[in-house]
Amino acid sequence: MNNRKLPRLLQTPAVLLLLVWMLVPLSMTLFFSFIRYVLNNLRRPEWTSPSIDNWRGFGNYDFVLHSKDFLFAIQNSLFIVGSILFLTVILGVLIAILINNAFPGRGIVRVLLISPFFVMPAVNAVLWINMILDPVLGLQGIAIEGINGVIMSLKDAPIVGWFFSLWPTLEPISFRATQTSAYAVIIMVTWQWTPFAVLIFMTSLQSEDQQQKEAAVLDGAGPWSQFRFLTLPHLGRPIAIVVMIQAIFHLSLYAEIEIVSRGNGNKNLPYLIGEFANNNIGAASATGIFAVILANIVAIFLLRMVGKTLME
Amino acid sequence: MAIVAQSSTLGRSSRMLLAWGVGLTFFFPIFWMVLTSFKTDADAVKPEYLFYFTPTLENYTNMTENYDYWRFAANSVITSVFATLFTLTVGIPAAYAMAFNPSRHTKDVLMWMLSTKMLPAAAVLYPMTFLTKNFLGIFDTHFLLIIVLSLINLPIVVWMLFTYFKEIPKEIIEAGKMDGVDTWGEIKEILVPLAWGGIASTALLCFIFCWNEAYWTVRLTTTDAATLSKLIEGNRAPEGLFFGRLSAVSAAAVGPIIVLGWFCQKQLVQGLTFGAVK
Repeated sequence: MNNRKLPRLLQTPAVLLLLVWMLVPLSMTLFFSFIRYVLNNLRRPEWTSPSIDNWRGFGNYDFVLHSKDFLFAIQNSLFIVGSILFLTVILGVLIAILINNAFPGRGIVRVLLISPFFVMPAVNAVLWINMILDPVLGLQGIAIEGINGVIMSLKDAPIVGWFFSLWPTLEPISFRATQTSAYAVIIMVTWQWTPFAVLIFMTSLQSEDQQQKEAAVLDGAGPWSQFRFLTLPHLGRPIAIVVMIQAIFHLSLYAEIEIVSRGNGNKNLPYLIGEFANNNIGAASATGIFAVILANIVAIFLLRMVGKTLME
Repeated sequence: MAIVAQSSTLGRSSRMLLAWGVGLTFFFPIFWMVLTSFKTDADAVKPEYLFYFTPTLENYTNMTENYDYWRFAANSVITSVFATLFTLTVGIPAAYAMAFNPSRHTKDVLMWMLSTKMLPAAAVLYPMTFLTKNFLGIFDTHFLLIIVLSLINLPIVVWMLFTYFKEIPKEIIEAGKMDGVDTWGEIKEILVPLAWGGIASTALLCFIFCWNEAYWTVRLTTTDAATLSKLIEGNRAPEGLFFGRLSAVSAAAVGPIIVLGWFCQKQLVQGLTFGAVK
């Protein structure tokens, strides 16, 4: 054992474990995706056990591609992840700049802000969809009812009533509906992950070059151009990190989607796989392979973006 | 923005108010959950009891008596602690090798590790269930959860540790070599004490991710090893008729982690930047 070799070998356990973790289930999934394999089928019991005799070739892939939800699930996945990324980065930058300077109680505000990040995804979804967004029993319903009550009483008031009589009555929005369930997921995940973005950006702002800032001020740079030419470029790497970590986590969203509407009007690939897997393992596996391909495409993009910063 | 902020007192105080407003807004749902957990199910949905109500511990006693809360909590603690320990045991040597003896492929290995995080869990769930139920017989055991939790967090852990280790000057490690310390000694005597802060915050984050994991823990358990995420899953009220009960279970599941996070937020943030912020 020479001096260099043993230290190198120390990474072997980690690499091997991950390799097994990836290859064994993935090769099984690959095999299942080429055979007819269902959990219950009274007419064709031979399909209920995985065997090479039920070879189906690309039939499962064909079936999945032509199923009505597949393209929608991909589109919806990208819509949800993209919206969350957009909102968390914008909000994150704004809030980080806001609380970057010392003010009384800054420590407490930081603690309050970071809290949502520690909440379990399942709890997050249950909390928002039932207690906050519910159109009748949740805070949304109660708030809308309160506002409507105020408008009603204004309508009955003398003089001003004549003006307010043309105001509409507000309708609460049901976030479990087909058209809106994706928005509910975006709202709750944005709430949970904006704090993460804020903390990363704040850490980065702490290390900003103050002398450069002062020079810019002396040269008459206003707040906007300071932000545009100094702060924003400085935040480039942290933004890349925030985007990458979040994309990794949000492409596999599941609990939120299930709890909000059980996939009604709001599916992503993991959820679609889950639906197929209730019975048709072949189709679920084929969808799984598609999901792996999609994840790899996204990964290549992201890792290109962040890879440079990693080894410096 | 330090210089810009040397503006009027009015500007400063309005910024402060805005900052407080943002902080309180983000915290509000959690506050609301805790508040609701002290209301009865009937009171929780009445607008007139929004803030004025008679607090009761009914939901919490109910939870520990009828829902076996402590068993689920114990399972959460056991699996998260052991998974964290195991991940560090595998991760520290790996990160050490990558940071102090990098080869041409180190960067690719790191990238590949991270890409395993991208593997959609749903795509391999069925094979995992199939294997663990029919072949290995470890379905619904602590052992299985510990292994799975470790593997899904290993890439993040290795990457975070690597970031911390890179900050340590190579000369210190080299000096140890001169004194005739072997590789294990280097890790134990020199590296771990030096990078203690980084290792601790990595461990903490790993623990939080294990605790909050819902997909695998719900689907690879039935009763014996079921964790708190399974309890939440089982308590999902149909159309929210049981807000009090739901809030108590939720608060008891996320409370410990939030408090832990408060105490360690500074170290956590450092680890989360993955070296992107110098």
